[in-house]
Amino acid sequence: MSSTPKPYGLLAEFDTAADIFEAAIRVRDAGYRRWDVFTPFPIHGMDDAMGLKNSPVGWFTFIGGFTGFFTGMTMIWYMNGFEYPLVVGGKPLFTPLFAFPVSYELTILLGAFGTIFGMFALNQLPRLHHPLFNSERFKRASDDRFFLCIEARDAKFSDARALLESAGAKAIELVED
Amino acid sequence: MNLTSFIKRCWVLLACAGILITSARSVLAAEAKAETNTATFQSAEVAAAGHGESEEAVEPTLVAQIGYSYLTAYMFCLSLCVGALFYLIIHHLFDAAWSVPMLRIAENMACLFFPWMLVLLLPILALQKSIYPWMSLDPNLDHALGVKRILFNSYSFNLLLVVILLFWGWMSHTFRRFSLAQDKDGKAIWTQKARFLAAWGIYAFAVTLTLACFLLMKSLMHQFFSTMYGVYYFAGSFWVTLATIYAIARWLQTRELKGIVAKRHIHDSGVLFFAFTVFYAYIHFSQYFLIWNAAIPEETFWYVKREEGSWWDVGLLILFGHFFVPFLLLLRIDAKQSMTVMGPIVIWAWLMHYVDMTFNVMPVLYPKGLHVTIFDPICWGGMAFLLGFAWWKSFRSFPPYPLRHPRLKEALTYHPVPETSAGPASH
Repeated sequence: MSSTPKPYGLLAEFDTAADIFEAAIRVRDAGYRRWDVFTPFPIHGMDDAMGLKNSPVGWFTFIGGFTGFFTGMTMIWYMNGFEYPLVVGGKPLFTPLFAFPVSYELTILLGAFGTIFGMFALNQLPRLHHPLFNSERFKRASDDRFFLCIEARDAKFSDARALLESAGAKAIELVED
Repeated sequence: MNLTSFIKRCWVLLACAGILITSARSVLAAEAKAETNTATFQSAEVAAAGHGESEEAVEPTLVAQIGYSYLTAYMFCLSLCVGALFYLIIHHLFDAAWSVPMLRIAENMACLFFPWMLVLLLPILALQKSIYPWMSLDPNLDHALGVKRILFNSYSFNLLLVVILLFWGWMSHTFRRFSLAQDKDGKAIWTQKARFLAAWGIYAFAVTLTLACFLLMKSLMHQFFSTMYGVYYFAGSFWVTLATIYAIARWLQTRELKGIVAKRHIHDSGVLFFAFTVFYAYIHFSQYFLIWNAAIPEETFWYVKREEGSWWDVGLLILFGHFFVPFLLLLRIDAKQSMTVMGPIVIWAWLMHYVDMTFNVMPVLYPKGLHVTIFDPICWGGMAFLLGFAWWKSFRSFPPYPLRHPRLKEALTYHPVPETSAGPASH
């Protein structure tokens, strides 16, 4: 178990939301790809400052909803119109009309499943531990400090320390995996 | 409470009492008449105007043709005012910031109620005998009319419509008056007053809107029952209003509202428009589905008549054109920003809402199928042009946005909009 610890990334600490906002813009403009920001509360405009695109979770929602709708329609057609034809209330054996409420509910259900499981998959959740938890300092990310972490697997990692220093980080720490 | 507001309230109470008294009088008069009336069973006229069993309907008169085209156009334009008034109500109820830059667009649109929509109502009142079949029926011989005569009698009809239009006009003008007063002194009291008005106003709005479209549109087939008819009209109205406000905001973004209406407000307007695309479909489907499922003749005949001839195709056009096409086109987050997508959709929304109004009004006059006359574009275009001009004139005479609205700063401060979709997160 005592393999040599690999570096996970550089963790920089900032005092204010404005500082980390400016730092994020500089890291974005320097062309880094593997990095993230950790703040005690949401900061308006941070998505743009980090250059984040719209999340692809919507596609999972769409596929889930689509599946739900057609599951509902085909299920009711198969059960009521094909496998065991049954006249109810003088209505046709199958029509999208009465299948609609169920299909609609299934659209919502599977759409929600697509959203939540898509989000889990994209975030690689669930996981039991994260290397950043090795840092004692990082605990204040949920209290009163603002953190920016550039991961070691980023191609420009070698220049990261200089960039973070010039961006005004109060402390910089190498976090190990 | 000061004197002027006390007098105003007295007027409202008097008007309500007047409505009650006149409708009670008409009911009593009709009942007195019923006692002296020798009971003759349904005349041919009743049958023709009723469920429409006698298929050889007489060729509609010119007056009726003009009246129906005018009514369709009126219902379309009324939608925009009703939607704008609702926009103001929810803006104040939710204490919203996102709608502040577009607020004056809606305020001036809602203020068209008075005097414009009231004046434009007069031809309908004048032609009412040619437009509404129930007006030439005897409530003692037509059961459906007899049980609904508390509402469907000419006293209630005329009085209620005028009072409702006046009420909407008063409410819209009050909202604008508060907003303009705030432009001058910047006091928060105007926002609080508007919020109070919106809070009770939303109930009054719901009741009056339902009443108005029962009288104006649903009573064309007076036997019909649908408690969601008012919501149905409202859903389409607010939908087309959001499209209109979107288009106007987009246009004024390069003019009066330059630097005020930002990407974020356009995005939010588009999202709400998208939401009401779904809401309209939900409401119209619910109305159809409940009637279809219950299969009660007093309700189904309304749709059965709208499945005859080319009305069937019009119904499908509404299903696909009013819902599926805009729904699928607007699903993507960036579609709501793109004028290449939104421009045609806004024009399409106007057309679809007009088709929806036609679907409600015209089958009474043309039971065999869609029938377009020259009066349709004349009435629709003329009325839209007149109201558009009136709107522009009133918009130009006031500041283009609420200058000292308490949420203006919040509305104008930087809030990001998600970028175009389908890029992976960058980490």
